[in-house]
Amino acid sequence: MMARHGVLYLMVLPVLLYFAVFLFWPALQGFLISFQKFGLMGSQGWVGLTNYQKVFADRTVLRSLSNTLTIACGITIFGTLLPILPALALAEITPAKLRRSFQTVIYAPYLLSWVIIVGLWLNTLSPVGLVNGVLLAIGILDKPISFFTLPQFGQPLVIGLTVWKDIGFLSLIYFSALMSLDLDLLDAAEIDGAGWWAKLRHLVFPHLLPVIRVVFVMTLLGSLRTFDSAWLMMNGRTADSVRTLAIFTYERGLLRYDLGFASAAGVLLLVISLALTALTRLMPGIRPPKEA
Amino acid sequence: MLRSPAFRLFAWVFLSLLALSMIVPMVGVVATSFTSKLGSMQPGIRLWPDPVSLEGYTTLFRRFEFWRPFGNTLYVTVIGTLAHVGLCALAGYALAQPDLPGKKIIAGIILVTLTIPSQTILVPLFVVFRSLGLLNTLLSLIVAELVSAFSILLLKTYFEQIPRPIIDMAKIDGAGPLRIFWSIALPLARPGIITVTSFNMVWKYNLFIEPLLFINDPRKITLQVALQSIIGGGGTTSTSDIITPNVMMAGIVVGLVPLLLFYPFLQRYLVQGLYMGAVK
Repeated sequence: MMARHGVLYLMVLPVLLYFAVFLFWPALQGFLISFQKFGLMGSQGWVGLTNYQKVFADRTVLRSLSNTLTIACGITIFGTLLPILPALALAEITPAKLRRSFQTVIYAPYLLSWVIIVGLWLNTLSPVGLVNGVLLAIGILDKPISFFTLPQFGQPLVIGLTVWKDIGFLSLIYFSALMSLDLDLLDAAEIDGAGWWAKLRHLVFPHLLPVIRVVFVMTLLGSLRTFDSAWLMMNGRTADSVRTLAIFTYERGLLRYDLGFASAAGVLLLVISLALTALTRLMPGIRPPKEA
Repeated sequence: MLRSPAFRLFAWVFLSLLALSMIVPMVGVVATSFTSKLGSMQPGIRLWPDPVSLEGYTTLFRRFEFWRPFGNTLYVTVIGTLAHVGLCALAGYALAQPDLPGKKIIAGIILVTLTIPSQTILVPLFVVFRSLGLLNTLLSLIVAELVSAFSILLLKTYFEQIPRPIIDMAKIDGAGPLRIFWSIALPLARPGIITVTSFNMVWKYNLFIEPLLFINDPRKITLQVALQSIIGGGGTTSTSDIITPNVMMAGIVVGLVPLLLFYPFLQRYLVQGLYMGAVK
């Protein structure tokens, strides 16, 4: 009997070793490096809390922190609520074949890399592109706007494109929850004279609530680690408004080789992320993930 | 569902607009990519190449040697996915066995990994990869996310759905765990395996932060990083003055084609996996 279990343990062992070496060890390292003066060649000695003092006094870090929180807030709010609309809309579409076509199209951007997504919109929003073309043609603008180089469009574009990219994916989660709604209940409400809004408010919305909470946690934790999207949309003029904390650690640590300082900023991001994870667990109605 | 004509009208309008916001930019990109160099710099609404030209593509492959990053990405995607699915399936199967002592603790450890996103440990990851001599190797991209909690837990749910009597019968016949895993569990969990394989292939194909972090050598860059250097990160840098929009968009189209070819066949699995993941 023990031998049989032995083989099973051997089957999980590679995975555990992997996490130990490539996740837990680096996380611990990051913590240790943040207390050292650490250059490309390695440690130059322990410096206590110096890196953290620098982190909280550095204008770029604080700016990146506020960018991260603003972007995360935008993505979380819109990314949690907006996908409910296409889910409700999909439920109205018949025949089913047509509904699947809509699903196929709106799900597609979720699978595309950020490089492709930014490329698509760079072309569409370029000064010589489609959107400017239309706005100029109908007279809303008299000269083209260069959306990707104006600082005031930086954060809205990161948030907007993230929500757009994931809307199909997240709406399918809502849609699958809608499919388990008891249709007899809706019919009964109909007989009682309930309009579409009353049905949405009193039947559909409460039914979706547990899923809304799950999506909320998913988008919140995903948005805090924003890197690719903002990195690809970042340029000299928008850097100050779209640089996230994750990008900052990359720039400072791996392009400027100030690894100790960058690690302290990374630990800050990790702590914020862990703290928010813990907070969401306290939210009423969030089931802790099943552990078996 | 709501039986309201007004809401049904809204549904059609809303979904059509949303679908158009995906389709129109795509058409625009294809149109620009097949437009001549000068034509692609003209302002206006372009949903058809004007004038038609293959300049974008010829420049892309001649000047940027686009084959190389493509080959690198293919290698990393195929080997990386095989290794990923293999390791995750082994672990998922073991954890799906109801009588394994300590499996709750192990599953707990695996869940904890979800709370440490790699974006928060970029610097130490670089340090660890460097100390293991993995920098500037394609192996580093195979090692990155070699296993993930998502895949393990998803496969575990699939393995748990295999009826116990089938496994118990095999045990009585004297088959060991590895043999049961290989000849009984894997074939029965096929939809799960295909789902995880599809997701991981897309994931590996799109890998961006890791090559940015670990690869310097221009001969070892991957498709996404090559594309990024062509579209120039959205800025008006001096290099993007030289690379015209038709070349950039040709790059985007070339990067899109493998995914679009692969998507219709695997869409079912990509959606199915999503439901399973959401239920968890």
